[in-house]
Amino acid sequence: MPVWQSVYEDIDDDNFVLISAAQDTGGEKATGKIFDAAKVTYTAIIDEDHTISTLFNLVNVPSGIWIDEDGQIVRINEGTYAAKHKLGTFEFGTDAYVPAVRDWISKGADSAFVWSPEEVARNIIQRTPDAQRAEPAFKLGVYFHRQGNEDLANRWWEESQKLNPDSWNFHRQDWSFTPREATRNWYRKVQTLGDKPYYRPLGLPGEDTDTQ
Amino acid sequence: MKCRMTVGCTTIFAVLLTLTTAPAFAAVAIVAGETIQLENTLPDVRHLWVTSQDFTRINGFELKAEGACLGEICIPLKQTEDSDLFVKRDGQSWLNVTAFADKVQQAYVVDRESDVWSFGLVPQSRKAFLQSAEAPDFELKDRNGETVRLSDFRGKKVLIITWASW
Repeated sequence: MPVWQSVYEDIDDDNFVLISAAQDTGGEKATGKIFDAAKVTYTAIIDEDHTISTLFNLVNVPSGIWIDEDGQIVRINEGTYAAKHKLGTFEFGTDAYVPAVRDWISKGADSAFVWSPEEVARNIIQRTPDAQRAEPAFKLGVYFHRQGNEDLANRWWEESQKLNPDSWNFHRQDWSFTPREATRNWYRKVQTLGDKPYYRPLGLPGEDTDTQ
Repeated sequence: MKCRMTVGCTTIFAVLLTLTTAPAFAAVAIVAGETIQLENTLPDVRHLWVTSQDFTRINGFELKAEGACLGEICIPLKQTEDSDLFVKRDGQSWLNVTAFADKVQQAYVVDRESDVWSFGLVPQSRKAFLQSAEAPDFELKDRNGETVRLSDFRGKKVLIITWASW
């Protein structure tokens, strides 16, 4: 996030809007200090219901969406870390993403990174009927969580995970409320990925795609 | 009446409603993360019957003479005789919002014990996104409490980055 703040300051273009949307049922308590520490001046949203992920068919964070002046999506993707990160031996992120964003901001539709509507449509994750039901199931869990009914919250979050096993958001959000088991749960699920990537490759030049 | 216990008050409220407008019951609908209190519903073991106003709040479809319409799309829905989608009781019209959801493939789940129904997006409203890459609009509050509406940024480039603390 501090990286995005410096990118935002550096681009310094009135026609560029950066929206950072925390997909976080933990709300201000979980995310506020992170936003504060990064001293963000761009638009900061705490999206407790994961509304953005629901609308744009996203299953993981961080995810990036580029929207042009006409409201057309020109890139929609997964795993958009602003820089390379390391967590033990697990490497993730790429240094190729920020230069691509800069290229788009300066060249607009002429940027080589801009996709056609067909390419965007191909890259939108399709939802099965079960995956579609997972969305209201997750929100029902959020409703019960807000009511303080953790048993029912868990029941519906588990249902959402069953209905959409590919949603890291639904799994990791749920695990975040039992932090002691979260890492183990995550590691176990990562092991079941097989050939599937944790983040879809960005397809950017210079990107190290071997980050799983 | 000062209510300290939310649950108790809800119960009293529901009982009052039942007495005045029997046989209707209160339920809750969640639509796009928003919680809607349904003050009146018709009891049914499988389905959720709601008033025409609540019907529109749940799926965006408005009732017209030609049926239930969302923009250009109209789904036939007769409002002159009882059917699996529509009934009239004591002058009040009731719409079967879950049977309609099945018809238009709007996903939903229900927690029957608490009578909370959670609805997903209506596929008819998703074509522009899925087929033509049009960004779906949203309205969310930012950290300062200001409304952020994506469509307000027309004429600018918008980069959305999602993240989470977990």
